[in-house]
Amino acid sequence: MQPTGMLGEDGIHVDMNHLKKGEVNLGTSIMAINFKDGVILGADSRTTTGAYIANRVTDKLTQVSDTIWCCRSGSAADTQAVADIVQHHLSMYAVTNDEQPTTQTAAAIFQDLCYDNKDQLSAGIIIAGYDHRHGGQVYSLPLGGSLHKQSYAIGGSGSTYIYGYCDSYWKENMTEEGGIAFVKGALSEAIKWDGSSGGVIRMVVLTAKGAVRHLYLPDQAYEGPGKQPKAV
Amino acid sequence: MTSIGTGYDLSNSVFSPDGRNFQVEYAVKAVENGGTAVGIRCKDGVVIALEKLVTSKLMKPNANKRIATVDRHIGVVSSGLVPDGRHFVVRARAEAAEWRKIYKAPIPVHSLADRVGQYVQAHTLYSSVRPFGITAIVGGWDSETEVPVDGQVGSGPSTGAGGKKEGGKHGGPFLYMIEPSGLFWGYYGAATGKGRQTAKSELEKLDLAAGTLTLEQGVKEAARIIYVAHEDSKDKEFELEMTWISSLSGPTKGRHEEVPKEIREEAERLAKKSLDDDDDDEEEEKKDDKMEE
Amino acid sequence: MGGFDFSNHSRNAALHAQGFPLPTATSTGTTIVGCLFDGGVVIAADTRATSGPIVADKNCEKLHFITPQIWCAGAGTAADTEFTTSLISSNLELHSLSTGRQPRVVTCMTMLKQHLFRYQGHIGAYLVVAGCDPTGAHLFTVHAHGSTDKLPYVTMGSGSLAAMSVFETAWKGNMTRQGAVDLCSEAIKAGIFNDLGSGSNVDVCIITPEKATLLRNHITPNEREKKMRDYRFKKGTTAVLNQKIITRADISKYVTVHELDDGTPVAAEKMDVDT
Repeated sequence: MQPTGMLGEDGIHVDMNHLKKGEVNLGTSIMAINFKDGVILGADSRTTTGAYIANRVTDKLTQVSDTIWCCRSGSAADTQAVADIVQHHLSMYAVTNDEQPTTQTAAAIFQDLCYDNKDQLSAGIIIAGYDHRHGGQVYSLPLGGSLHKQSYAIGGSGSTYIYGYCDSYWKENMTEEGGIAFVKGALSEAIKWDGSSGGVIRMVVLTAKGAVRHLYLPDQAYEGPGKQPKAV
Repeated sequence: MTSIGTGYDLSNSVFSPDGRNFQVEYAVKAVENGGTAVGIRCKDGVVIALEKLVTSKLMKPNANKRIATVDRHIGVVSSGLVPDGRHFVVRARAEAAEWRKIYKAPIPVHSLADRVGQYVQAHTLYSSVRPFGITAIVGGWDSETEVPVDGQVGSGPSTGAGGKKEGGKHGGPFLYMIEPSGLFWGYYGAATGKGRQTAKSELEKLDLAAGTLTLEQGVKEAARIIYVAHEDSKDKEFELEMTWISSLSGPTKGRHEEVPKEIREEAERLAKKSLDDDDDDEEEEKKDDKMEE
Repeated sequence: MGGFDFSNHSRNAALHAQGFPLPTATSTGTTIVGCLFDGGVVIAADTRATSGPIVADKNCEKLHFITPQIWCAGAGTAADTEFTTSLISSNLELHSLSTGRQPRVVTCMTMLKQHLFRYQGHIGAYLVVAGCDPTGAHLFTVHAHGSTDKLPYVTMGSGSLAAMSVFETAWKGNMTRQGAVDLCSEAIKAGIFNDLGSGSNVDVCIITPEKATLLRNHITPNEREKKMRDYRFKKGTTAVLNQKIITRADISKYVTVHELDDGTPVAAEKMDVDT
C-alpha cells in the first residue's frame, strides 16, 4: 500500500479492507474445535495498534449467550460491536421465544450482520456453542460473510502457520485432554511464528457441564495454570 | 346482551363499564356461523380438516382451497369471515418469511402462533380497525432432527457433533387455535365454526392426550368428525378439505400438504359408513328399548 | 436537484492521491494513565495542549467529569474528548435519574463505545474511563473506533509508551491508595519528560466508593523560574522624531466628546428596565 489513505495503487480504487489509521487490530490466532463431549475455543491474547501492543492479556473469547461463545479476529472495535449486538439479539430471543437459542441461531445472526455490512467491517469470527439437542458445534465466519460448519476452525493472522499442524494432528472425537493438547499445541506454534500473536493462551471448554475457562502462561511454557475458577 | 344502544359496542377502543369489549364478542359471532374446521394433533403428525360449504353450484369442485400453507411445515385454516382468514394467512406467511430471513431456519409453530396472536390482539386495541372475524387453527411439525443454517457451507464432523445428549425428544407435532381476541392455546384437538360443539365432543372421545392416535387414524377421525358436525345442517352441500403434516419419516416428510385424493376419499367413505351405522344403532337401541318394556 | 453532493469526496481523494496532505485536526499529544488499587481507582494526565508544533496551553485540564464517581481522562482530538465526555455525562445523568440508580462505569463505557463506533473513528477521542459504582471500582480504555479494554493499569496517548514502561517496571498487585497515586504520577512524568507531545504538570483524580478527589496540578515539575535578567528597555531608548497634539476641539469635529467626572469610575449607560 502507498501512504495514500484509502486509495489503491491506481489512485482510483478504494481498498476497504485495510484498517483505518490508528485502529486497534486483533492480529490474532484463534480456533475452536469439536471434541467428544462438546467444543473447545482457544485464542492468544495480543491486541495491537500498529507495532504497539495495546493489550497483552486480551480476552478474545466472548460469550454471547449461556452456552454460545465466539472467537474474535480483525478489528477490535468491529468485532466487539458485532458480538454485543448478537448478545443482545440472543437474550431477546431467549425471552420472546421461551427457549435458549441454538448455535445455529447465533451463527445466522452473526452472518446476517457480517454479510450485510461486509464493506464496513473487518471481522473474522468463529462461533462455537453447546446445546443438549445438537451437542457441540463450530461455525467459521470469515471476512466475506460466508458461513462454514466445520469439525474445527482456525482464524486470524496466526492461523496461516498452523494449517499443516492442524491437518496432521486433527482427530475426530478426541477426549477433553486430547482436545486441550491439540488447541494448546496449535496456538503455541501460531504464537511462535506469527509476530502479531502472543501473550497467554486462553481457552473455554463447553460441555453439558457448562463453560470452563483455562489459562496457559508463556513464562511456564504454556503448561499452566490451566483450569480457572468460574469468576474470571 | 344489553349492549345495544349503550354505545359501548361501537368501537374497539371503548370498554363497557363491566369491562367487556363488545366488538370482539361480535367478532366471535361471525365465527360461529362459519364452516366447521378441526385440527388433530396425532403422535406422528397433524391433520387439518374443513367443512367447506358450497355457496354456489357454479364453483369448480376441489378448487378455491381454504386451508393455506404458511411455511413448508405449517398449515392454517380459519372459520368465519373468509377475507379476514385470507389476510390472516398473508400475515402468517410474512411472519414465517421474516423469521427465515433473520434466523435462516423454519419458524417453530409456537413462535408463529405467538406472533400472529399478537397481531390479532392488536386489532382489538384501535378504533381505526375491527377485530378479526375468524378463529384460526394453526398446525405444524417442528423438525425432530438437526436443522442447518440456510446457506451454510459444510456439515461439521463426519462423526457428528460431540457431547450430544442421546434420547432427548425434540420438535414434533403442534396445534394452536387463535381466537378473535388474540387469545391462543395449544391443543390436542381443536374445533371451530358452526359445528364446533359436536366436533369438540367427538374430539374428546378420542383421548388425544394419550398420544397414541396415528396420523392415518387421525385423518379418518377428522373426516368423520366433519361429517358428524355437518349433520345439523344436512340440507347444505359441502366439500371436505383436508391437509396434513407428518414427521420426517412419515408420508409428507415434515411438510404441510393436501391429503392425497385416495386417502381422503377412503376416509370420507368410512365417515359416511359410520354415520349410517350410527343411524342403525339408534334404531337397534329403540328396538332394545321396546323389548325391555 | 436535491440530495447529497459527494463530488468533493472524489476531488479530495484525487488531490490526496497527488500528494496534497489532508487537513489535520488539533490534537493533544498526551499522556494519560489509570491504575486500580485496593478500594478504588486513580487516573492521571499531563496538562499540555498542542496545536501542531505549538504548545497551545501549558496547563489545560484533561481529566473530565462524567458523574461525581466516574471520571474520564482524554487523549486525541481535544474538541472531541471534551464534547464526547460532556455528552455522555449528560446522558448518564438522565439515565441515572430515570432509573433511580447510581450510574455504573460499564454503562458509561458502553455509551462511549457505541457513540464512538457509530462515528467510525471520525470522532478522535481516546479515553481512560474510571470510577466506583455499587459493583466496585472499574478501569477501562476506549479507543476512537469503539474498542474497549479492561485492565488493572492502562496508558493512552502519545506518551503511553513511556508511561507503560513505568507501569510494567513498578506495578504490583494489591496497591495502596498512595502507591497508586505515586505510580500514576511517575508514569505521567515519564510522558512529560520523554514525549514531545506531553508536558507541564500532573493532574490526578482518586476515586473511592466514598468520594472522588481531584488533585489539580498534583505535581508541577516545570515551574517557570523568575527571569534572571530584565529585558525591558530603558525609557527614552527610542528617539522621538516628531510630535503632534490633537486638541479636544479638533476631535469634537468628528466625534461627540463627553466630559467625565474626575476620578470616579465611569457608569455604564443607563438602561430602561421593566420593574
